[in-house]
Amino acid sequence: MSRLVLGVVTGVILVLPLLAPAYHVLLMLPFMAYAVIVLGLNLLFGYTGLVSFGHALFIGIGAYTGAVLTTHLGVRSLELMLLASAALGALIAAPVAALCVRYVKIYFGMLTLAFGMVFYTFLLKFYRLTGGDEGMQVLRPTLLGQDLGGIPKTDYLVGPYYYYSLAVLVLAGLVMWRIVHSPFGLCLRTIRDNPTKAEALGISIVRYRWSAFVISAVYAAVGGALLGPPTGNVDPTLAYWTHSGNIVFMTLLGGFANFFGPVLGAFVFIFLQDTVMAVVPYWRLIFGAILALVVIFAPTGLMGLVARRRPAEVARA
Amino acid sequence: MKSSRREFLKAVGAAAVGGGAVGFPAVARAQARKGVPSEPVKVGVLAIRAGIAAAVGTAGLRGTEWWAERVNKAGGILGRPVQLIVEEESNPKDTVERYRRLILQEKVEVVLGGISTGVTLALGPVAEDMGAPWLSWDGTTQKGVEETMPNPKWAFKSVDNEFEAIVAAVLTAKYFKGIKTVAGINNDYSYGHDCWETYQHVLRRYTPDVKFVLELFPKLGVTDFTSHIASIQQAKPDLLMSSFWSGDTTIIMKQAAAVGLFKTMKAVFTTGGGVHDSLKKEFTPEGLLLGYNSMYFDDPKGSALLKQFVREYKAKHNEYPPYECDHAYFCAESFKAAAEKAYASAGQWPTKAQVVKALEGIEVESLSGRRSWRGDHIQMCNFFQGVTTHKNPYDFVTINPVEVMSTKVAMKPAGGKLLDWINATFPLKG
Amino acid sequence: MTANLVNILLGGIFHAAILFLVAAGLQVVFGVQRIFNLACGSFYALGAYVGVTAVRAFTGAGGSPALFIVPLVFGGLLVGLVGVVVERGLLSFVYDSDEAFQLLLTFALVLMLEDVIRLTWGTAPYSTAGLYLVYGQVTLLGAQVPVYNLIVIGASLGIAVGIGWLLTRTAFGRIIRATADNREMAEALGVDMRWVYAKVFTLGTALGTLGGALVIPTTAAMSEMGIELIVEAFAVVVIGGLGSMRGAFVGALVVGVFRAVAIAVYPALEMLLIYLIVIAVLVLRPRGLFGGAAV
Repeated sequence: MSRLVLGVVTGVILVLPLLAPAYHVLLMLPFMAYAVIVLGLNLLFGYTGLVSFGHALFIGIGAYTGAVLTTHLGVRSLELMLLASAALGALIAAPVAALCVRYVKIYFGMLTLAFGMVFYTFLLKFYRLTGGDEGMQVLRPTLLGQDLGGIPKTDYLVGPYYYYSLAVLVLAGLVMWRIVHSPFGLCLRTIRDNPTKAEALGISIVRYRWSAFVISAVYAAVGGALLGPPTGNVDPTLAYWTHSGNIVFMTLLGGFANFFGPVLGAFVFIFLQDTVMAVVPYWRLIFGAILALVVIFAPTGLMGLVARRRPAEVARA
Repeated sequence: MKSSRREFLKAVGAAAVGGGAVGFPAVARAQARKGVPSEPVKVGVLAIRAGIAAAVGTAGLRGTEWWAERVNKAGGILGRPVQLIVEEESNPKDTVERYRRLILQEKVEVVLGGISTGVTLALGPVAEDMGAPWLSWDGTTQKGVEETMPNPKWAFKSVDNEFEAIVAAVLTAKYFKGIKTVAGINNDYSYGHDCWETYQHVLRRYTPDVKFVLELFPKLGVTDFTSHIASIQQAKPDLLMSSFWSGDTTIIMKQAAAVGLFKTMKAVFTTGGGVHDSLKKEFTPEGLLLGYNSMYFDDPKGSALLKQFVREYKAKHNEYPPYECDHAYFCAESFKAAAEKAYASAGQWPTKAQVVKALEGIEVESLSGRRSWRGDHIQMCNFFQGVTTHKNPYDFVTINPVEVMSTKVAMKPAGGKLLDWINATFPLKG
Repeated sequence: MTANLVNILLGGIFHAAILFLVAAGLQVVFGVQRIFNLACGSFYALGAYVGVTAVRAFTGAGGSPALFIVPLVFGGLLVGLVGVVVERGLLSFVYDSDEAFQLLLTFALVLMLEDVIRLTWGTAPYSTAGLYLVYGQVTLLGAQVPVYNLIVIGASLGIAVGIGWLLTRTAFGRIIRATADNREMAEALGVDMRWVYAKVFTLGTALGTLGGALVIPTTAAMSEMGIELIVEAFAVVVIGGLGSMRGAFVGALVVGVFRAVAIAVYPALEMLLIYLIVIAVLVLRPRGLFGGAAV
């Protein structure tokens, strides 16, 4: 059943550029980037039980890595941009995670928020290095060695870049699927549901949490690198704390208790925001109300509503 | 369809909020010209609604709405009523998406708006790619002081960031002779840094021995400058220069008055006119240099159009209009003029490329007087600065005398380096 | 020289006085309810706007400018009652949920309140004009100090003492402390949690709104002032330690004074210095200077 749904959804996404208006195809690009980000975030949130309010830091790392590579270092290959983002994301996440995972719950959330704001301030203050509020340009990357500089940007985005992003998302999804269904994933869930038992079983709680944090940071960085090229510019608001809040919002909206929930959340968030913004200027009020309703009445998100009668895959005890 | 429902909601919104009909009834009588379709011209508007610049964005939007109402009353553009489609300018990523929406979904003829440099830097290349005219109110595509898009086809950009700092430096030399030490407090972002650097360069051309003793760069949006003021008091400069333009101008003015800062030093607020009607006499002294950017609402030489606008703006919004209204009005009005000019030679509703061609070099009457687009798509206009006075019927300061300087005189021409040009141009002769 | 030092220090202490009120609201709510209220900055902004409205109504009705502080404080405290609505109408539904959900609910509040303020008061900076200056200045060790700044510092100190008294000398304070230490035990002893939570959250909200109202004569209200402030308030509680009143007091002083000194000595550092202190505290003393048992 769920495989059928997955197949149909994949099929629709594959043919979408041929059928849908260009604008909606363009909106799929941030969706796919955010889908990668929240897949990673949910390893920490849904599977490990840690809510980060600072993952925009890693989105920023990925986005700025792409910008620095294309504008300053003359590297235009998207593969290299993604790899470099992932590596840098992991490198910075390693010490940050080591400091953060000593805590859980609110303390963890606050620590991550603090680190996120340090990075944001760095981006803003070190004007000469980062471009300050103006940010940096991201030049059009080459895809698999193909220089596609000759075609109009919109055609580039709704064609090659679209399928490239899709491939990255599918790959990220497959890897994450393997991670959560591996013994490692099982350990994370045990730690989340019953840390005492996990410790008794000889699981090193801190080390597992650390690994989950670093993996989620790598996902956020890769997603961040994908966000840059469609805009053509990166700026510090990508690393601001409310952006961290938004990706947690997406995860919760779709449902953290389901593997695909966060991806659905990202999709609904982006398309709903697009519609609401077009109708009323006060979209934050509406989104705040939606978030409040989800938290109070549907904490398992949209997936939870859909799959209410079926045993949820990673439902909390 | 979705869009028609949305237009309905917009119309209701406009009627409910403003009480003025931007819609069609007023132009029902107008006749479309030969070769011109009768449906409305869709004009996209990007306006900041949230954050520090929300007030500026709102002023730009109000200026545009006033223009649309006026144009529609007079029969539209070539008989086509104007329909505004407003989207929010926020961060670069979201604004680029909203821009694409305007072009691809709403199929607007032109996009007006864009204030923040970060956003307009991102919008520039997108506008070039989408192939529709974009007339920026107040954003440039300069990175620092250097242009990143020297030869745009579709993008039309505002006055250079540093222009009002140049004017302010020239006037500093004129009004505050004998200044030896200067401190600067500017916002920590491109506009603030550009203004401060340029101000220093130009002022040095007039008084080579001037010393710049302190530079402060508080983050945009700071609401407490007590510590900054303490730091300025410690540095004891003869003059304080600031390019603040939002609510922080009001705040620093008030907090400076509380410790009598401007009793011991002169001050130049290059852009404080952005919030001019909040600079109350109670805390804003006379004798400061204050810049109003491209429109001074109380210009004694102002046109009938300006006087009508100020009157109606005050009646409707209970505020006096700041400069952004004029940037916005000019962008909209120049589009109308360009469409009419292109129609005259094409004989039918012009294509976007024809509109762009007609825009280059066009001159129209704007609220603040005649304004034009330079060949390389830069706004040309007059800037208004002057010395603050309490002698007026308002509860806030105005300026007298009013100094008017044209971008033709004191803005860097296309091409070339800013510093070389400054060295070659200043001090101005005559 | 002394005059400069006084100016710099008092500038820092003034900033600290405001930060303390907001951080104290954050701490009292966290101490009892274990909710980190991201919306504390939004309450601060709300207090600021309502404060201006109250003062304008007062002077508009012919009230004496010298008495503006009365409607200001009254408005600031009154709007604190919005805390009851938020607590009963939103938070009370999620007390049994994970802390993450409580955090997200306060994030939802941040989003909503920003637009509510914009809808109600518009986008232009909103201020009480020159009323700030009616109390004049005094000369302290050669430095010119606005009297109103001293009033705010005094009020903040007074509130700090008042909270101390409330927590240690009253029955309600004992209940608060008992609940913070051990909720189940307090409940078993017959404390009605609903009532305690409603009161505590309202107290926390009122501290924030009062802070906003008190600061507003010196500045101008802008709709995003709350989002900016939360980050500083956050630094205060991290440095001081979550849930601790003494922590809020010391943390606010550290942030206020270090910021002022940084601006005077090496302006490029400004807020970055505060974040560096935050990181140092997190690494060396993760529970803050006065933090209780974390986790």
